[in-house]
Amino acid sequence: MSVAQGKSKASKKKAANATKRLRLGLSIMLALLVVVGGKLFLVQGLDVGGMAEAALDNRLRPTVLPAERGSILDANGTVLANSVIRYNITVDQSVNTKTESFKRLEKVNGKDELVTVSRDQGIAELAAVLGMDAGDVRKSVTGTRTYYIVAKDLRPDVENRVSELQIPGIFSEGTSKRVYPNGSVAGGIVGFLENGTTGQAGLEQTQDGILRGTAGKRVFEIGADGLRIPVGIDELTPAQDGKDVKLTLNSDLQYFAQQAIQTQADKLSAEWGVIIVSDVKTGNIIAMADTNTPDPNDPGKVAAKDRGVRSVTAAYEPGSVEKMITAAAVIEEGKAKPLDTFVIPPSLVVDGQQFDDSFSHGTEKRTLAGILGWSMNTGTVMAGQRLTKDQRHDWLQKFGIGEAPEIGLPAEAKGILTPADQWDGRQQYTVLFGQGVSQSTLQTVRAYQSIANDGVMLQPRLIDSYISPDGTEDKVAAKPPRRVVSEETAQQVRDILESAVTEGQIKEAAIDGYRVGAKTGTSQSPCDDGTAGFCGYTASMVGMAPMDDPRFIVEVVLQRPKGSIYGITNGPVFRSVMSQALRTYNVPPSKGAPVRLPQFAK
Amino acid sequence: MSAAAAKNLALPSGPSVQDVEAGLPGSARKARTPLSLVRSAPRKRRAPFVVLCFGMLAAALIAVLVLNISVSTAQYQLVKLRAEQTALTKQNQDLTQQVQNFEAPQNLAAKASELGMVAATGKGQIDLSTLTVSGDAKPAVKGDSAGAVIAAPAVPGQLNVVPPASSGEPLASRAPAAGETAAAQPETPAAAKPAEPAAAAKPAALNGGTIPAPEQRTPGQ
Repeated sequence: MSVAQGKSKASKKKAANATKRLRLGLSIMLALLVVVGGKLFLVQGLDVGGMAEAALDNRLRPTVLPAERGSILDANGTVLANSVIRYNITVDQSVNTKTESFKRLEKVNGKDELVTVSRDQGIAELAAVLGMDAGDVRKSVTGTRTYYIVAKDLRPDVENRVSELQIPGIFSEGTSKRVYPNGSVAGGIVGFLENGTTGQAGLEQTQDGILRGTAGKRVFEIGADGLRIPVGIDELTPAQDGKDVKLTLNSDLQYFAQQAIQTQADKLSAEWGVIIVSDVKTGNIIAMADTNTPDPNDPGKVAAKDRGVRSVTAAYEPGSVEKMITAAAVIEEGKAKPLDTFVIPPSLVVDGQQFDDSFSHGTEKRTLAGILGWSMNTGTVMAGQRLTKDQRHDWLQKFGIGEAPEIGLPAEAKGILTPADQWDGRQQYTVLFGQGVSQSTLQTVRAYQSIANDGVMLQPRLIDSYISPDGTEDKVAAKPPRRVVSEETAQQVRDILESAVTEGQIKEAAIDGYRVGAKTGTSQSPCDDGTAGFCGYTASMVGMAPMDDPRFIVEVVLQRPKGSIYGITNGPVFRSVMSQALRTYNVPPSKGAPVRLPQFAK
Repeated sequence: MSAAAAKNLALPSGPSVQDVEAGLPGSARKARTPLSLVRSAPRKRRAPFVVLCFGMLAAALIAVLVLNISVSTAQYQLVKLRAEQTALTKQNQDLTQQVQNFEAPQNLAAKASELGMVAATGKGQIDLSTLTVSGDAKPAVKGDSAGAVIAAPAVPGQLNVVPPASSGEPLASRAPAAGETAAAQPETPAAAKPAEPAAAAKPAALNGGTIPAPEQRTPGQ
C-alpha cells in the first residue's frame, strides 16, 4: 500500500514539475510576445521616433513649376520679346574629381558596347562641346564643391551633346532666358530685364505683373530608382503662365522710322531725334522711333540717358507747331477766319514786347492761312491777342498740353503749362507760338490728331490687347474720346495746314499722289545744364495725310542739330516716313483738288 | 457489408444462439457478438476546398502583380514621352528663333542690300475697279550716301547677317534733285499725266559733300 502511495506521490510530483515547466515556458513566450507587441504598437500606433514622417519626407519632392513669362508682340504678331529654354551646365566637383574613369555606352563597329573613358578624355570632350579651353574646364570640375556652374545659357542642342557625353558629376539645369529677336527695333519701348527676372525699363517694367504669371507647385513621392511612386501623394497646383502683351506698333515701319531718324541725326550731328507715326482714326501708335535705341539683348551698350523712350519722356518747347492750336482756338472762338486779313508790320510791338519773324519783311497784308503758312510769330501774336489770357491757357489745356498721355511707358512727361495768372508780360504772348510752354512729342501728335479726326481727341494707344495663355484676347479699352473743337473748325484748320504745303513754305512736305497738310516748328531750346538762356534749337515737322480723309500723322523732331537752323529741314525725312506709312497700309491716292488758301490778303 | 453477404457468412462455432438466448445456466462462456462488417459513412473530401483556397490566393497575387507591373510600365512610358516632348519643344524653339532672326527688319534690310537690292521710292497704283494705272513708278535708283546701319539683334548664338559695310539708303532717292521745280500736284486717277516728284524748293548746294550748305531762306522763292 505505501509503495503504491509513494509511486503516486512521485508521479504527482513529476506531473507538478512538468506543469510548472510548461507554465514557465508559456510565461516566457508571453513575455516576449508582449515585448514585440508593445514595440509594434509603439512604432505603428504612436510612432514615437517620428519614423513614418521621416520616411515620407524622404520620399516627398516638392517642385516649383516656373511660370513662363509672356511675350511682347507687335500688331501683326511679330515677336518682340519672348522667353526660351536655356541650360546651365553644373558640376559636382567631389564626384568628378574622384572618378578617374567611367564607363559609357557607345556604338563601336555598329554594336553598342561599354567603353571605358578616362577623366582626361571626358574633360577634353566636354571642352570641345562647350567651346571652352580644356584647362579652364579642368579647373572648374576639380575641387570639393558639390555645385559649381561650368557654363551658362547654352542652347538645347549643345546641352544635348553635353548630356550624351555622360561624364560623371556633370548635370544640366534648365533656366529661362529672355530674347529679343528684333533687337533695337522698338528696343526702348520693349525695355529689358535685370538679372533675368524683373523688368527694368520700358514695357517689361510697367507690364511686369501681367507678363510674369504665377508659379505653380507640385508635390509627389519619388522612389529610390528616381521614378514617381504612382500610388503616393501627388498634388499639383498648375503654374499660370504670364499673358502676352500685343502692341499697336508695326515693326517694319518702326525699323524704317528708326533708320530714318538715325540717319538724319547723324547727318546733322543732332543730340537726339524722334519720329512718331500715329493712326488718326484710332489713336494707335504705329511707330515711335528714337535715336540710339538700346538693344534689349545688350542694353549696356548705349548710354543710360538713351535707354528711355524720348518720344514720351522728353519735354521741350514746341515752337511754331503750337501755332496750330492758336489758330484753332481763334477760329473756334469766332475771333477770326482762315481768310481774314491781318496787316503785319516788319516787327510787332505789343505791351512793350517786341516780336520778330524768322525772315525780314515789310508791312504785309496776310490771311490767317498765310500767317501759319509762313510761320509768322508777329501774325500769330496779332491773331492770338484776340483771345484773353485765360482763353489762351484753357485752349492749350484742352488740346492736352500739361496732361501726360498714359500709354504704359515709364516716366511719361506731363509737360509744363503754367497757370495763366503766373504768366509774365512776354510769356502771355510767346505761348501763342510755342515758347514758354513745354510738351513731349506725343502730346503734340495728340493735339494734331484731334484736328485730323474732325475735332475729336483720341488718347494714344500703345498696348492693344492682352492675350492669355489659352489664346483669349482681351482688348484694352480705348479711353473715352473728347471733343476739342467743332468739325467745321477742324476742317478750316486742316485747310490752313494743307495750304501751308501747297501755297506756303512747307512745299518739301508734299508727297506724290496724296494731299498733305503740315506745320514746321523751330524753337529755341533752353540750356539743359541750368544756365539761363537758350542753347540751340529744336527743329520739328508734323504733318497729316491724306487730307481728304486723314489716316496718319507723322512728327519728326530733331534736337539741337548743328549748322544754321534756317538751312535745316526735316522735309525729306517726313516725306519718306509718311509715304512709307501710306504705302504699307495701301492708302488710296487722294482724289479731288487740293486746298489752296491764299497766303496774302487782297 | 451488405445484408446478403452477412447472411451468407457462416456463423462461428460455439454455443448456439438458442443456448445463449435461453440463458441456460451452465454455459460458462459469454456469448460473443457475432462479427459483422461495419458499414462506414463516406468520408468527407477536403482536397478540392484546399485547392480552391490556394487557387484564389494565387489568382489574387497574380492580379496584384499584373496591376503593379502595368502601372509601373505606364510610368516608364510617361517618362519616355515627356522626354520626347521636351526634346521636340526645344527643337521647335530653336528653329523658331532662327526664323525670327532672319525676319528681323535689320537683318532683312542688310541681306537685301547684300543682294544689291535698292529701296524703291516712287510707286504707281492700279485701281482694280476701273483698271487704270496712275502714278509714276520709276525704277529704283541707288543713292550715293549710305544711311545709318541699325545693328543686328545681339541674340546670342544666332548668326549675324549684317554685312560689314552697307550700301544704299532708303532716303537717298529723296535727295534733292538739281533743277526740278517744286510742284506737288496730286493727280486724279483718270489722268495719266505723271506727277512730278516733290523735291526741295531750291537745288541744294552740296559742294561735293552730303550736307547742304546753310542758307538764308527768303519767302516766295
